[in-house]
Amino acid sequence: MKLARWILTLAVRDATEREMILGDLEEERAARGGAWYCREATAIAAHAAIRRSPARRRASRSGDRLMSTLLKDIRYGWRGLRKRPMVTLTVAATLALGLGANAAIFNLIDRLVFHPLPFADPHRVVMLAETGPGIEFRKESVSPANFLDWRRQAGALTALTASAWWDANLLEKNDPERVQGALVTGDYFDALGVRPVLGRGFVHDDETFGRHHLVVLGDELWKRRFAGDPSVVGRSITIDGAPYQVVGVAPPRFAFPDGAALWAPLAFDPKTAPTRHNRYLTVFGRLAPGRTLADAQSQMEVIATRLAQQYPDTNRDHGARVYLLSEGWLDEGTGTILSLWQASAFVVLLIACANIANLLLARAAERRREIAVRLALGASRGRVIRELLTESVLLAVLSVGPALAFAWLALRLIRTAMPANIIRFVPGWESLGPDARLFEFTLALAVATACISGILPAVQAARGKVSDALKEGGRTATGRQLLRRAIVVGEIAIALPLLVAAGLGVIGTNRFLNGPQGYDPDGVLTMKLVLPDRTYPDDAARRALVERAVREVTAVAGVADAAAVNNPPASGGSASRGIEIDGHPSADPKNPPSVEYRVVTERYFGVLRLPLVKGRGFNTGDRAESAPVGIVSESLARKFWPGEDPIGRRMKVADTWITVVGISGDIIHDWFLRRNVPTVYRPMAQAPSDYFAVLVRAGGDPAALAGPVRQALLRVDASQPVFDLMTMRRQLSERTIGLQFLAAIMASFAVLALFLAAVGLYAVVAYLIAQRRHEIGLRIALGASAADVLRLTVGQAFRLTLTGTTIGLALSIALSRVMEAALLDIASHDARVFATFAGVLMAAALLAAYIPARRATAIDPMIALRAE
Amino acid sequence: MPDIYLGELEQIVLLAVLRLGDEAYAVPILEQIERQAGRRVARGALYTALDRLEAKGCLRSRLGEPLAERGGRARRYFTVTPAAVRALKASRTALLRLWNGLESIL
Repeated sequence: MKLARWILTLAVRDATEREMILGDLEEERAARGGAWYCREATAIAAHAAIRRSPARRRASRSGDRLMSTLLKDIRYGWRGLRKRPMVTLTVAATLALGLGANAAIFNLIDRLVFHPLPFADPHRVVMLAETGPGIEFRKESVSPANFLDWRRQAGALTALTASAWWDANLLEKNDPERVQGALVTGDYFDALGVRPVLGRGFVHDDETFGRHHLVVLGDELWKRRFAGDPSVVGRSITIDGAPYQVVGVAPPRFAFPDGAALWAPLAFDPKTAPTRHNRYLTVFGRLAPGRTLADAQSQMEVIATRLAQQYPDTNRDHGARVYLLSEGWLDEGTGTILSLWQASAFVVLLIACANIANLLLARAAERRREIAVRLALGASRGRVIRELLTESVLLAVLSVGPALAFAWLALRLIRTAMPANIIRFVPGWESLGPDARLFEFTLALAVATACISGILPAVQAARGKVSDALKEGGRTATGRQLLRRAIVVGEIAIALPLLVAAGLGVIGTNRFLNGPQGYDPDGVLTMKLVLPDRTYPDDAARRALVERAVREVTAVAGVADAAAVNNPPASGGSASRGIEIDGHPSADPKNPPSVEYRVVTERYFGVLRLPLVKGRGFNTGDRAESAPVGIVSESLARKFWPGEDPIGRRMKVADTWITVVGISGDIIHDWFLRRNVPTVYRPMAQAPSDYFAVLVRAGGDPAALAGPVRQALLRVDASQPVFDLMTMRRQLSERTIGLQFLAAIMASFAVLALFLAAVGLYAVVAYLIAQRRHEIGLRIALGASAADVLRLTVGQAFRLTLTGTTIGLALSIALSRVMEAALLDIASHDARVFATFAGVLMAAALLAAYIPARRATAIDPMIALRAE
Repeated sequence: MPDIYLGELEQIVLLAVLRLGDEAYAVPILEQIERQAGRRVARGALYTALDRLEAKGCLRSRLGEPLAERGGRARRYFTVTPAAVRALKASRTALLRLWNGLESIL
């Protein structure tokens, strides 16, 4: 009913009239019901739309003529459509699929790229990033000291604010929970234009070190853990083992950044000068009134240049960029992938267009005689073309409804398929769904589609000599058949690249999901802990906790083995350190080569079944006070000691000289890091980490151990929350969810394209056979066998398919190059893939051709010839 | 005052409005037409006709009080202008003259 009212609002622009109509409908709704309301509202909207149409307005000047012809065209077209329900339904269904696919992707792009964040005045909110050598991510790119300088100097921006990742340990009613939080500076809520619903946000004074233990709760956390009690404001709660005073509650649905559930002031210890070296802050701001993005950008460049001169050690060659938040916040690559999807959706639509054009060509051929008569009686060609176009537009508009329904279904599927802990990193995901923009886009696309697919058949139909068409038994001009064949070849040619792209995506994803990882992900349970500074202030405390945790977990029944590591594989986190090889000082000491860095306990290699190729693993002898040691991956050994044995050699890892005692196999840490990244492992006892994951090798089903293992960890420290507890397989799947999505969507498009191309070929072959009925009948009469007829008809289809496939292969190779560049190597091109999909396409096409060809063999020569 | 040409539906609508007097707004107008003339008129067509008649100067409208059963919207009451009454009369006279003497046939 909302929809009906909305359509009515669109159609009736005059407010007084709209109010009257809505009032009348409302008055009668009680007696007649909602369905009646919807029906009536749409009907009235249709009347109003016709009344308002431009043709009508012109008509009122030139005496109703244009309007009446338009209405006549519509009526005529409608009759034509109803007369051939099968053709109409086929075209409408084809269109609905093509349009629906486009609509769904449009919605994704619209929500994720253009309108991802629900902030007030979003086009004034900016994000600032430091640029320079060695800065890979723009989200966490600014050092605290630089931020403070920026804030003092940037006049084109107001409310400049920084946020930092915060793993908060909330202890409430003896139930510890790890909560995603953000440490933010004073102007945070102002910068984003968000006002707490209870209490207050932060002010500059809250950044004073020592007075900064304040917290604003997120709406969800407040309702879940504090029962939505307003009196919690002013209370003290325990976070990271320290008392924090609640000062406010954020509005519902505000969970920025990264699904933060609570916020606390970011305060810098005055005893230690804020670092200019560590870049971990994300900086936001709001454009000052009257200032533009370009103003802010040029001012930030001046500031960055000044800072680079002032602090050459840390800031040389460093600049600053100002993004609109919606643009800067988007993951690099998201745009590429979404455009790839939209391009694929367009290809599907193009194939749909080709099919429709083909059907309309066939229709036009049937109506040749009729059109010729009308032309002979004096109808203008323009009039005939317009009438035929009206018919296709009508068809397209009719398919908008089913297309939107299809898109809605697809979006629901997409929305629910994404795990909640991924969604929070994708702003806009929650809001996926149909809206006015989607409706407008689909309608516009439908009309464009209708014109594109309808214009050629319409022009074809109105062309040609009238006398030819009127001649008795006049055969269809060969030109038109050529066109129809060209269309089919084109369809096949563009369907193949889509198939190949999807195939590469699926194969690539499957390789990361199920292929060899370098370790054994089956039977492993993983969980994470983050240790607050307050309870675990130093290495000794952390070391003791890790050791106890591993010991307790190992003792749980069903646990075969357990270990701890700073960043387990496929966890999304990674750590890297600069290294120096003894005897090979690096050319540029300021930028030493960087390798992946993992801190592990003794049994790590055993738990993951990560093979040790040479030397020894870590053991209990590797203590804090014993000689620092390390294990390197084969790839590291190859890269830094080519042709030499690294065992016993020395290297410097993060300011510590260590001796290499072993070589491990290579593993895939994470799919977006390439395979075989040089990695160095250090014993946890010698380099404790304040965050780590516990990995458990289960005797049986790892999922069944989740409860007992959590209990064991709570026995070690009851205030220490355990999070992301899941099997390694599940973790792998979640880490590659983006890839899986990519592959699944591409695959759906490919299947759609394949299906539509096959339908297209079917239609053309059927049509060509119908044209040659007479000839085929004659051949059969003269003794041609069924095999001969099949060879004749399928042979023709085969030539079309072969031409299409050849062109398609060339396109596929070009496309796979692009995909390789865009998709970080996940889709490596493989001749077998190309051959397979070309084969699949040919098989599908020939099958489609076989069905009508089979029927041709059953042509009764008597009947076929008598028709003459 | 130039002659106003009235189509059949327009005449029907005007007559229905006249019959209803002070209570003529879209809902009862439609009801009147249905009951008295035995004709089903599409609502959209009625609104178009009302709009056109008002533009031609055959109808005037005023808004009533906002009503709860209409979701807080006011009714829009229509009255027939003297010019329209003249036009109705003229067309009636013309028709009657034409009918004259044909009663036996029809």
